[in-house]
Amino acid sequence: MASRYDRAITVFSPDGHLFQVEYAQEAVKKGSTAVGIRGTNIVVLGVEKKSVAKLQDERTVRKICALDDHVCMAFAGLTADARVVINRARVECQSHKLTVEDPVTVEYITRFIATLKQKYTQSNGRRPFGISALIVGFDDDGISRLYQTDPSGTYHAWKANAIGRNAKTVREFLEKNYTEDAIASDSEAIKLAIKALLEVVQSGGKNIELAIIRRNQPLKMFSAKEVELYVTEIEKEKEEAEKKKSKKSV
Amino acid sequence: MAATFFGEVVKAPCRAGTEDEEEEEEEEEEEGRRETPEDREVRQQLARKREVRLLRRQTKTSLEVALLEKYPCSKFIIAIGNNAVAFLSSFVMNSGVWEEVGCAKLWNEWCRTTDTTHLSSTEAFCVFYHLKSNPSVFLCQCSCYVAEDQQYQWLEKVFGSCPRKNMQITILTCRHVTDYKTSESTGSLPSPFLKALKTQNFKDSACCPLLEQPNIVHDLPAAVLSYCQVWKIPAILYLCYTDVMKLDLITVEAFKPILSTRSLKGLVKNIPQSTEILKKLMTTNEIQSNIYT
Repeated sequence: MASRYDRAITVFSPDGHLFQVEYAQEAVKKGSTAVGIRGTNIVVLGVEKKSVAKLQDERTVRKICALDDHVCMAFAGLTADARVVINRARVECQSHKLTVEDPVTVEYITRFIATLKQKYTQSNGRRPFGISALIVGFDDDGISRLYQTDPSGTYHAWKANAIGRNAKTVREFLEKNYTEDAIASDSEAIKLAIKALLEVVQSGGKNIELAIIRRNQPLKMFSAKEVELYVTEIEKEKEEAEKKKSKKSV
Repeated sequence: MAATFFGEVVKAPCRAGTEDEEEEEEEEEEEGRRETPEDREVRQQLARKREVRLLRRQTKTSLEVALLEKYPCSKFIIAIGNNAVAFLSSFVMNSGVWEEVGCAKLWNEWCRTTDTTHLSSTEAFCVFYHLKSNPSVFLCQCSCYVAEDQQYQWLEKVFGSCPRKNMQITILTCRHVTDYKTSESTGSLPSPFLKALKTQNFKDSACCPLLEQPNIVHDLPAAVLSYCQVWKIPAILYLCYTDVMKLDLITVEAFKPILSTRSLKGLVKNIPQSTEILKKLMTTNEIQSNIYT
């Protein structure tokens, strides 16, 4: 039974499971949804904003953080674990820049974070990090990148992905709607991210936070107003599409 | 007598049967096991504390006979757990006028209060309702944990010792997806998803696939199903496997296919309005937690 093999992180079960790592993945599912989309000239990160207590300062509850000028990440899972990983990644970005005189590539920093996570699945006395991260950015060669890491320390490149609560629903939406047309322009990519989140976010646009990076430009966080503008545009497009449909059927 | 490797002689236990000496030992052991009056007192106190009481609504006095022996019942829908309770509250209870007929009060280690006599209405509850327009349709909202030793008492107080066979029971509950026995990894399962388990006498079809082998269910839903199987009452359990055990909109909506079954036919009227009520329920119940972002 699972209970005999899940006390220590360093113990495999007879059928090859590392239960602590799998349980860490359950912790990720408790975080709110985050979605990442890789467009041709833009990368978009959208997250479901957690409802903040009345007396809490909203700015301290951030799911999207810059790791360097050209790389940023969104996470889902344990807040404290994310803070530690982000701090280590930020230090690594600057250390790399000072040593090699080049900014990190997105793949390099993703590999760094993934290696850090893997280390914690192989030492005793420590538990895995309970976060998954979506890391986006542009490399020097001008190509957009999106990577996803998970508590086991694996990382993969994606065209579009979602993590956290209801990630499966969002991923299915993206599989159906991610087309070359959908990411052709910057605004289309942004709208796709918002549409994907609206599938699972309750009470619409005011609970969505969005960030983009354009080639050779720093991270831009959208204000609530800007998100609302896009949401209204999406709703208008939906209405027009439905009107067309009903016209056709008549 | 046996000799070990080191030359010592060890008395091996005798399999031939009890010898005289051992009989005396047994008697002594029994004396130790025999209850003292204090033990009996403690045991009785504990039994009283863990008693399941079924109370009438208005007078708050105990019901003398079992609930379903007192009132005739054709349909009984039981929701166990907070997601199932939220589903019935939003979709069924607001589509008709339901009158409370009684509630069950019980205490076990899972209760957050130590006071067993005055469980307030904000505690985990177990309330029984019937439809005013058709009083043979019953509904139970059970959000408290009924421990193993209390399940039989609960069944007796609700169904009685000789239940009628012409009623249909529907049970709704949730379990964590890690309880679902499968060779796939839990990450690849499309949770939340619905599975059904029914008794032999339940002849209608379920609105979702049946729970595959090993089809194990736990706690009160299992007790009710076993009871119905033994007494040949048609009953079906709709089990929602989810990865979010707290009150969650997507988990509650996973119960929606049941709205089209015969069990709930005629009891659900306004679905869009129900969805709005459900959303409101979610926001009022959200507990502020900063651990997960």
